[in-house]
Amino acid sequence: MIKHTCRSCAILLLLLSINRAEAHPHVWVTFHSEVLYAADGTMTGIRHAWTFDDMFSAYALQGIAHAKKGHYTRDELASLAQTNVESLKEYSYFTYARGDGKKLKFSDPVDYWLEYRDATLTLHFTLPLKAPAFAKAIKIEVYDPSIFVDFEFAKDTPVSLSGAPQCQMTYDLPHQPTAAEQSRLSQLDFVPLDPLSTYGEIFANKILVKCP
Amino acid sequence: MTRSHAAALTALAAILIACTTAIDSAWSAPFGAPHPLGAMPAPGAMPTFSWMGWIFAEQAAFYRSLSGFIRASKEDGAAMWELFGISFAYGVFHAVGPGHGKAVISSYLVANQETWRRGIVLSFVSAAVQSIVAIIVVAIAAVLLGATAKAIGLTVHLVEITSYAFVILIGLRLLYVKGRGFLIASHELSWHHATDLTFAAVSTVKGLSATTFHLSEGRPRAVAMRGGQCQIDGCTAYAHGFQCDHDHEHHESAWGHAHAPEPAMLAGAGGWRRGLVAVGAVGLRPCSGAIIVLIFALAQDLFWTGVGATLIMGLGTAVTVAAIATLAVSARGLASRVARTRAGLGMLAMRAIEAGAAALIVAFGILLLAGYMASEQLWMFTG
Repeated sequence: MIKHTCRSCAILLLLLSINRAEAHPHVWVTFHSEVLYAADGTMTGIRHAWTFDDMFSAYALQGIAHAKKGHYTRDELASLAQTNVESLKEYSYFTYARGDGKKLKFSDPVDYWLEYRDATLTLHFTLPLKAPAFAKAIKIEVYDPSIFVDFEFAKDTPVSLSGAPQCQMTYDLPHQPTAAEQSRLSQLDFVPLDPLSTYGEIFANKILVKCP
Repeated sequence: MTRSHAAALTALAAILIACTTAIDSAWSAPFGAPHPLGAMPAPGAMPTFSWMGWIFAEQAAFYRSLSGFIRASKEDGAAMWELFGISFAYGVFHAVGPGHGKAVISSYLVANQETWRRGIVLSFVSAAVQSIVAIIVVAIAAVLLGATAKAIGLTVHLVEITSYAFVILIGLRLLYVKGRGFLIASHELSWHHATDLTFAAVSTVKGLSATTFHLSEGRPRAVAMRGGQCQIDGCTAYAHGFQCDHDHEHHESAWGHAHAPEPAMLAGAGGWRRGLVAVGAVGLRPCSGAIIVLIFALAQDLFWTGVGATLIMGLGTAVTVAAIATLAVSARGLASRVARTRAGLGMLAMRAIEAGAAALIVAFGILLLAGYMASEQLWMFTG
């Protein structure tokens, strides 16, 4: 009897704990990123193009005035683009960069606009670095640590490099988390990652730029 | 605060800590100690729960296929039935994930000694409320007012906060009732072992506060009314010593109530109403997925199809929540059967479980309100 009780309780605790164990995305983003370099060989910023899934696109477009049904011009979407980049500030634009291991800071986005095509929205924006960075190895990660948003590299030309012909660029897909990583994932709410942790990499989309 | 009060509170605190740590570690380390802060579990040391990963993958796949089926149902009536089927499956899988009040509802059922029948009904009501709130929000905000995603997100956020505040209030009320039940139970337990303590306790009280309690006037019962010091209740201060009378069956407890609240009292009149209020509060929070599906359907001029899909999604959610609620109720039933074999302590343990479950509701409410348990967010892009 006691054994039964214990077993039921264990199952119950397990099921209840799942409650806060994992967030799940309701937004899917397919993205393309271009790393920007100046003529002097310093990295100046990153240009993103994020395409939302069709359902979230419809949600975001709700209530946006437009002249022609099924069509949205760049001007009609200007205020939504403004809202997008303003909202993203709180989430650090889901973009994390390091130059030779040191954190790089971005300032507010510039050149942002929305494009509506094939029933999906694409948000274009450029994140300039606060100070141009000179580094042998630059690592840029794009992901949502809370996993409310699912980021995925675009199928063709997911990344590109602008203005740095001497540098090599590679990218790395997030791997499927192992059981151990999955369990750590479930503790994020109560046991946040310390700033030095490299844990988030498992579901980060990594862009690496190596310069001589 | 008397000693038995302090002991009772310590026990309660211990149970709560046990509950929360158990919940915290159950998922992550069912067979091991909780991991130190920030440390990664040793590779290979963890049992695999990949079936959870599978559930998450499945629900994501179902969700993402919804848009295709909504589009298809525009031209093809048969696709609508497929859409409804997918919606149901999505609801079942989705509810296993975070949110949807499983934890709160299950805790509520455990704390309130509800029957499994009532648990199932309340689960279905909660899921129905959730779907209907989503439909009402979209119908008013999007269809009638033409509000933007930003305004809808804000509305959902406000409704959410209201829901969590209600959950905290319901939890606090329950914690008050159940905490009191636990204190009474612990008080009654100490009553039975009181004989040994009589002299020490009385002399302490006499020495410290004899004037306050007018022991000299032969009214020591006043001491008992302060709570906890039951061992003094009914003693008469004769010159040759203390004599305690143990044979009154209907002694007054410290709180002026006859006994701990009886199950019948809670499940009786008002139980249904309170239960419905509780699940209503939980269900108030609309599912973000349902909101998105509804707005997507609206954009395709298929609002009513979206409404149907949302209701069926809610039905799927209800099935999962009801299954978990039934498990919670039967776990409690088993525990109480075990408890019955041990008089006194068993009763105390049951009261402790109830108080702990009530405290968990408060904790869930606070965590939800503080955003620690947020499971779905919509405002990363739209404010």
